[in-house]
Amino acid sequence: MKKPALVYTGLSLIGAILFYFAASDTDYTTVERVGGMVWVFVLLMIILMPAVSNWTRRKTPRSY
Amino acid sequence: MPRESKKTLLNLFVGGMSCAACSRHVESALKSVPGIGEVTVNLALGRAAIDFDSSRASLSDIKKAVEDLGYSASFDTANLQVSGLHCASCVQNVERAVKNVPGVYSVIVNLSAGSARLEYAPAVTPLKDIMETIKHLGFGAVEKLEGRAAADREQTAREEEVRRQKRNLIVAWVLGLIVMLGMFQPYWILPGLVPEWMNNKIFLFLVTTPIVFGPGRQFFVNSWNGLRRGLTDMNLLYATGIGAAYLIAVINTFFPDAGFGGPEATFYEAAALLTAFIILGRYLEAITRGRTSEAIRRLMKLQPKTARVIRGGAETEIPAGDVELDDVVVVRPGEALPVDGLITDGYSAVDQSMITGESLPVEKQIGDEVIGGTINKTGAFHFKATKIGNETALAQIIKLVEDAQTTRAPIQKLADRVAGHFIMGVHLIALAVFLFWFFIGYDLWFSPETRLILTPYILTDLGVFGFALLTSVTVLIISCPCALGLATPSAVMAGSGKGAEYGILFKGADAMEATARVQTVIFDKTGTLTHGEPSVTDVITTGEFDRDKLLEFAAVAEKNSEHPLGEAIVNAYRELSGGEPKNTLSFNAVPGQGIEAGFEEFNILLGNRKLMSRGNIDYRKIAADAEKLETDGKTVVFLAVNGRLAGLLAVADTIKPTSVRAVSELKRLGIHVAMITGDNLRTAEFIARQAGIDRVLAEVLPEDKGNEVKKLQAAGFKVAMVGDGVNDAPALAQADVGIAIGSGTDVAKETGHVILVKDDILDVVAALQVGRQTLGLIRQNLFWAFGYNTLAIPLGMGLLYPFTALMVSPELAALLMATSSLSVTLNTLRMRGFVPQIRRGGSGDNS
Repeated sequence: MKKPALVYTGLSLIGAILFYFAASDTDYTTVERVGGMVWVFVLLMIILMPAVSNWTRRKTPRSY
Repeated sequence: MPRESKKTLLNLFVGGMSCAACSRHVESALKSVPGIGEVTVNLALGRAAIDFDSSRASLSDIKKAVEDLGYSASFDTANLQVSGLHCASCVQNVERAVKNVPGVYSVIVNLSAGSARLEYAPAVTPLKDIMETIKHLGFGAVEKLEGRAAADREQTAREEEVRRQKRNLIVAWVLGLIVMLGMFQPYWILPGLVPEWMNNKIFLFLVTTPIVFGPGRQFFVNSWNGLRRGLTDMNLLYATGIGAAYLIAVINTFFPDAGFGGPEATFYEAAALLTAFIILGRYLEAITRGRTSEAIRRLMKLQPKTARVIRGGAETEIPAGDVELDDVVVVRPGEALPVDGLITDGYSAVDQSMITGESLPVEKQIGDEVIGGTINKTGAFHFKATKIGNETALAQIIKLVEDAQTTRAPIQKLADRVAGHFIMGVHLIALAVFLFWFFIGYDLWFSPETRLILTPYILTDLGVFGFALLTSVTVLIISCPCALGLATPSAVMAGSGKGAEYGILFKGADAMEATARVQTVIFDKTGTLTHGEPSVTDVITTGEFDRDKLLEFAAVAEKNSEHPLGEAIVNAYRELSGGEPKNTLSFNAVPGQGIEAGFEEFNILLGNRKLMSRGNIDYRKIAADAEKLETDGKTVVFLAVNGRLAGLLAVADTIKPTSVRAVSELKRLGIHVAMITGDNLRTAEFIARQAGIDRVLAEVLPEDKGNEVKKLQAAGFKVAMVGDGVNDAPALAQADVGIAIGSGTDVAKETGHVILVKDDILDVVAALQVGRQTLGLIRQNLFWAFGYNTLAIPLGMGLLYPFTALMVSPELAALLMATSSLSVTLNTLRMRGFVPQIRRGGSGDNS
């Protein structure tokens, strides 16, 4: 399960960082940029976590 | 005992599921275990029905698959009283022997209490066999009454869940109202009623925090457990919404200049009321789960705990579970019968309404069957136990209803698939909404007059992040289909329970949905549309033998027949001669044609025209007589002896009065009605005319009935076949809905998707009406759970904001969400008062 965690956390971080940079060229305060980055990160994690986990699970079935 | 290598259907109790996403996760985890086939998880019952190969998957594998997700899993448990234990070695012997029984997950024997507690799978090994294993070791084993039935444990778990949510509800609402009064203290008439200190932000923080971390804690814990395993469900939506509202409020209290909206944006009432409304929804769901399995509990309550049997010449009271086959059971007036049996002495009237739906008590006398769970009314009698334990009619009916409630209707599978994508879609929308308002919308449309709907706040200082976050959180909450997990299962449970009240047993939620969609009903003739008790009306002889001899030949040939026509001929002979027909020397049944038999020096052919042609018998002499009789609705059988036509017999079976009403009602419902029979066309058409049926399929061989059903299906119809569950099994299995009528007490052996316990054709109409009502209920519930929230999403996104400067607050979103749960609950409860239209104002003739 470590590989999926790396994938979705990595992708979410990239998305959050992109948001931060997109918000950097304007008049947003640091709080707004950082707050927005955190929220984007949380939502991306929620979106990507099941998608990546299921994709990985389909590729390698669990063995009991 | 060797391990059996076969597919077994197993029930597993799963705790901790709270929404449709949870049940899907459990399903997919179980399906990934090698050896497990079909899995159906019922959120409402907290149970998974698992089809597994016991040679490839163990009970441990199954449990582990679920527990690894963070849910609890257990099989059935039983407590046994074990006598004869006197040392630790006895304990070890019993535990070792029982643990080796397939289907036993765990066993703990307590020497001092003289008891054993088992966790086991009854589908693999029934409890009686486990007790036998203990008895073979030389110990005694009986089931402790207080440990009986998964339903007791289920009921206890459900009651505990209702109590827990009720406690949460009280805490959340009492404190939540305090928070609301405090937040709105400066507005309206409240300054005169509510003290100013209640508006203090620190006070509000202190009152809100116990709500979020008390009743609201379950959402954070469940979310975390799910996230740890890469799973997201509705708990995450709640936790995100409550957490975000609470955090914004806390930041604006202690760090008002941080840019999250300032002291005016301390949404404590949002966090508090959001929690309160979600808990309200959970409470309503817990109640609904308890109420809709009432049908099962009602059936189980019919089973008395004790029985009076005659053993060793004396009457003894024993636990009902200890009644053995052939025990003579004593029943007094007002008592419930403990098991099924045959009356050996006495007579009475028995109220069977709770099981078969028959409204009037049924007279019972020596030789009559009685059903466990029914109530003896007036007399006292003895009966011999013929079916005990899981083989009684009551146990079979309970199992059928339980199994139906763990299956999933096609419409539910569709809803679950949509729900899975829906939650993902909602998060995507929440992200898109946040990005839109953050980068574009706020600059274009933000107004200092911004208000939350139904609140007095003006959010002048709400910054871009606070605004975008508020909108994003509102979208998550407002769109949450939290009632979805309950929508279909609760309707299916209510529908199957309602059907069981009338002796209509659906063998699955898919059977219920299929019944609702039926377009054509085919009735078998003999015994379904007709009484199935024909009698000989005419005997015509060609002259070679007299009428009595003709009847004797026919009765000899039909002596061992189980066909109603054959029985009619034998009965006629018995009445005439007062004795039994003699035995044949040889016998050959020609399917669809008749019988060839050897008797003394005679070769007998008894059957229809096809048999006569086969034997080169010229029947033209009496063909006209035969046609006239058939036109009158009688069935004619020709008799030939030693290669020459001897005569014919006519047998008439009369149509049931209720058949006419049933056909008429079905036509009124828009159903096409047809009749199928092996009988000749003229007789069939006569009966069909009487019943009001236009389409007749006559002279159909038994093995071809299924093909006729297939033809109609190929023409695009959804077909229901109504007939005998044993004799018409192939046709019933082929039909979209096979309805086995008059199954009586042995429901388990019946083929068919719907079992009608009574031999009442009006129940066919009632079954369709219950099915349609249930499907309607499912559709309505899905709307309240789904469509309702979907329509609210544009509101939550802020669609109206540019025109009105009004936003939907998180607590309003939660109110809408709780309303969907309330709607599903109230809607499902309507089924309790439903009576099939055919049964309103009198139940009709039960003949």
